[in-house]
Amino acid sequence: MALTILKPRTLDEAAGLLADGAQAISGGTLMQLAWLRGEAQPERLVDLGKLTRDDINEADGVVTIGAGTRLADLETSDLIARRLPLLVQAARSIAAPGVRRLGTVGGNVAGRIGCLWPALLALDARVTVFADGRETERPLLDWLALPSATILTAIRIPVPAGEIRTAYRKIGLRAAFTPSIIGAAGLLEIEDGHVRSARLAVGAGITRPQRLARSEALLTNRDLGAIDWSALRESLIDEIETTSDAYRSARYRKQAAANALVAGLGGGVAVSRRSSPRHLAPAEPIQPDESIEVSHAKLASRWGVRPDIAAKVAGTLEYLTDHRAPGMLIGRILRAGIPHANIRAIDTSAAEALPGVVAVVTAADIRGENAFGIMAADQPALCFDKVRHMSDPVAAVAAIDAETAARALSLIRVDYEPLPLVEDWEAALADGAPLVHASGNLRAEFRHERGDIEAAFARATHIVEDVYVTPRQMHGFMETEGGYIVPEADGSLTVCVGGQHGTRDRKQLSLILGLPEEKIRVVTSPTGGAFGGKDELHVQPALALLALKAGRPVRLQLDRYESVIASVKRNPMRIRMRTACDAEGRLIAQDVDVIADSGAYASLSPAVLETALEHVAGPYRIGNIRSRGRLAFTNNGICGAFRGFGANQMVFAIESQVSRLAELVGLDPVAIRRLNLRIPGEPGFFGHEVAPTERLSEMLDAASANPLWRTERGLDAEGRLVGVGMALHHQGTGLGSLPHDPGGGRLTFRADGKIEAAYGLDEMGQGVMPAIQAAVSQALGCAREDIVPVIGDTGRTPESGSTTAARGTYVIWRTARDTAPGLSLKLREAAARLLDLRANDLAIAPGGIRDARSNSGALLLRFADLAARLDLDAMPSESTDFHFPKADYTEGNSRYVFCFGAAVVRVAVDPVSGQVQVLDLDQHIAAGPIVDPAAYLGQIEGGGGQGLGFTLTEDAIMQGGAFVTRNFDTYMMPSIADAPLASRITALESLDADDPHGPRGVGEIGIGAVTPAIAAAIADATGFWPVVTPIAPEAILDALAGANHVA
Amino acid sequence: MSRETVSFRLNGAPVTVAAAADRRLVDILRDDLALTATKAACRVGRCGSCMVLVNGEAVNSCLTMAWQLDGADVVSAEGLAAFPEADLVRSALAAEVSFQCGYCAPGFTVALTALLKSNPTPDEADIKAALEGNICRCTGYLSILRGAQAAVAALAAQQTAAE
Repeated sequence: MALTILKPRTLDEAAGLLADGAQAISGGTLMQLAWLRGEAQPERLVDLGKLTRDDINEADGVVTIGAGTRLADLETSDLIARRLPLLVQAARSIAAPGVRRLGTVGGNVAGRIGCLWPALLALDARVTVFADGRETERPLLDWLALPSATILTAIRIPVPAGEIRTAYRKIGLRAAFTPSIIGAAGLLEIEDGHVRSARLAVGAGITRPQRLARSEALLTNRDLGAIDWSALRESLIDEIETTSDAYRSARYRKQAAANALVAGLGGGVAVSRRSSPRHLAPAEPIQPDESIEVSHAKLASRWGVRPDIAAKVAGTLEYLTDHRAPGMLIGRILRAGIPHANIRAIDTSAAEALPGVVAVVTAADIRGENAFGIMAADQPALCFDKVRHMSDPVAAVAAIDAETAARALSLIRVDYEPLPLVEDWEAALADGAPLVHASGNLRAEFRHERGDIEAAFARATHIVEDVYVTPRQMHGFMETEGGYIVPEADGSLTVCVGGQHGTRDRKQLSLILGLPEEKIRVVTSPTGGAFGGKDELHVQPALALLALKAGRPVRLQLDRYESVIASVKRNPMRIRMRTACDAEGRLIAQDVDVIADSGAYASLSPAVLETALEHVAGPYRIGNIRSRGRLAFTNNGICGAFRGFGANQMVFAIESQVSRLAELVGLDPVAIRRLNLRIPGEPGFFGHEVAPTERLSEMLDAASANPLWRTERGLDAEGRLVGVGMALHHQGTGLGSLPHDPGGGRLTFRADGKIEAAYGLDEMGQGVMPAIQAAVSQALGCAREDIVPVIGDTGRTPESGSTTAARGTYVIWRTARDTAPGLSLKLREAAARLLDLRANDLAIAPGGIRDARSNSGALLLRFADLAARLDLDAMPSESTDFHFPKADYTEGNSRYVFCFGAAVVRVAVDPVSGQVQVLDLDQHIAAGPIVDPAAYLGQIEGGGGQGLGFTLTEDAIMQGGAFVTRNFDTYMMPSIADAPLASRITALESLDADDPHGPRGVGEIGIGAVTPAIAAAIADATGFWPVVTPIAPEAILDALAGANHVA
Repeated sequence: MSRETVSFRLNGAPVTVAAAADRRLVDILRDDLALTATKAACRVGRCGSCMVLVNGEAVNSCLTMAWQLDGADVVSAEGLAAFPEADLVRSALAAEVSFQCGYCAPGFTVALTALLKSNPTPDEADIKAALEGNICRCTGYLSILRGAQAAVAALAAQQTAAE
């Protein structure tokens, strides 16, 4: 459907067009969001932008704002700042600066849901409107009932005279750039301590704009000192009309708005803590540890700049989804659109007949196995008998352009026989539940028991039991899944799609396509973020089938909505945990029952759950343990790998339990951990041997010494409750004792004098390339710039295993360690022949070969000159392959090499909204030597940010088998305003003398301790222990409720 | 498909493209003109990856439709070098290794360049306010803030040197 923009010359003409059914548009920003939500896109839009005034002026005590005024201009207007500062606050709360430069005041108000509404109502604004050939002025609220042919031309606001007091607050889902949960504004005109008039209003988002007259009456004509704020709050809650949605309840909206108005107008916030705040601190002497701060300043001499950063900043780096070539077709995937159904028939004839469509594929086009999956091939490449979740792929099309491809998708008819929905993962396991897979809904069950658990609980002094619930977190990589595939003239296929393990992608594709692996080249790097979410195959099968059938290159990239519904998510878990200690605080019993959602297929979910269960005791000695974990199939999308890989869910539970027991015993959080810490050298959780270099005690030292414990707690200047908390954790690296976990790499001296370091690892952003440069240059003795990383391309790189599980660092370091001496010798021998010296007298140096016997460092031969004189067919090269170190344990999957960490967090809890701001997020890490400081810092800070989101704002909510969240407008990854104000990262680099395993990868260690540390800090501030993440502000308000004193 | 033509300046040169009225600037740049430094991560104005300068100000190109472009002056990340601030911003962000996957990086670079053009001495609060609309999933933002502060310091040093 084509959109026509009508540009009338007069308001009269515009009104006529509107009366005729056309829709008004100004900046168009809200309208485009509405289209995303599925609202019909109109055929005719009337551009009001040039017809309405866009100026702001004041006359006779009234400020007039033209409807065409951009929101950004409202925000920066001197006149508004001087005369109506309340409106500046409101304007700044709308979306983000870039959007405010497009959106207009008129559009915000006319749409009825805009964030300006409460402030304008409190300011007693009026609107001028054009209808029936004339302009009239009306009260603002009249706008809600005016016919759609009316044009909003200006807002008129009387400047409040004399002394005023105002309140404004937008309650959102995160700190900034958020949809409005509710907006509240109030204005009191005061004379000699007497309230002459009061205007209170709420609105924005799903809350209808409204003045709160009954509550206003409790303020009007009262002395300020005689106001019953508590009664006002009750009245507001009673009077505000709003509604619930998947994100927040009506009850919460009312409470938060009432609190905001009362607090903003001077009534404070009633806070009664269910139990008093803790303000705990480690009692033991603070010991310094050997950690160093990881920062550019502190590690200046080791700081390297990654080779791809300049191109990334400039935008010149070509991602696989950026590739454009003439004649390349556009692919699209048809998704089920129904969460559970049998397929009766698929009719693609109309799509195939559409001009411009080059290929349509269904399961019938699959020559190999129509099944894939990293752990078990239970996922069809294209569904043929049934669909198991809303975005199961059913067919795909390749067409000459995106419009044709979209049209073709709409022409494919699939006849479904709906099946009952399996939504709740606990109910999925009940007898008689509808089956997602014929094999049953219980995809995996793990049990472990040791000691005498009943006897231990019977003699316990303290027991804490709770159910910890964790969300369906979305990876939210900025580059959505996609790329391009080229069928080559020789019958082979070049697959350029972002991924995390090219050789495995190749193997899986080979099975699906019925094409030998040698005929498939898979390029997986660079990719714009993955975090586990691009580990499993995603768009590759459909895209490969299209390219093969079309016989032409095809590109495809999921839009964000399709990525939201189709991508793997973090497995939601319900963890019932019962933990006991004796009178001194020794942990004696732990009983854990986990139920996790797998979604429609296994992917890596069984391994995720098993990893969670490996952490049921945390890093503590608990003699009596019983654990059970069950993984259920549902129709809730697909779950699987995500940074933390199950450990972070369990660490939240166990660390919270330990801290809560500490409270009962009367120990501080460090002391109880010290008392129960596993002892280095002891067997691991399953009784298996673990690698040396255990640093739990040192991480406790670091946490104990953290200066945050000595910061002021209690109320901050904004009336928020400040608390400090900590958590400890450890996380394994590598895939574990069961899976095949190969590593390897190759160094080759190139014709241009560079040393090519080839690894089948992927650059997803985490820093594979700088790590390769750092590790190889260090092992050889040359400069980082001498090393050219070649990665992520099965046509050019050897098997290095998957780029997951924080394993890349080890693979890089081990390869460098094992191959550098050999390559060094070959280079020195070659140089020795040319220089007529002995190889042993030469050394590798930055840029070339130097005399090992001299301290001058001067080069005898530059690498480029050496290369120029070597036989191109026999360039020096060294390669290696090995297995990632693993435990000798095969009864279950267990980790062998661990990282250790502690987080210390300071939070401020807002008693108005129940929202939590993380002020400080410090992480102490022990993971062996730092390979590349910037990448190390980035992994810990970045993991911290994702942990913060997991804890406070992120959940891809599903209802009825469908995602409620469709895009980043409601899926709330932290914004820069949600980032910690400060974050100090320290690293303990030492390894035990007998430790052969080198630096550990830090891709996962940065997330796990964040959630329990934030939870503990909230408990420190409020006495409330959150057990459900993301932590609901409503739960915090409830915990703070029961007013008996005013903070 | 009804297509109209729209003419505007792009990176200093006039362009005329055929596009439906509601075609987004981000698609015109990426798909019609193969200028892929502008990234598309949400296409609903909620991530900032597609930021460009329109008439000197940083806006979301996914919220800018073809019919709104008539006569506009558009600068995408490819054309940013026309502003001296861009070089400082890029150098500082690179030196601090502000980004990881980098998909959001051109958007941040555009937003920061626009900020320094309008306010050469922003404090931390100004920087955060200017970057509220840019989402980064990899870094947790602290490295970006450090890069931005380094750019501000470099600009101040440059101006001091010029005085």
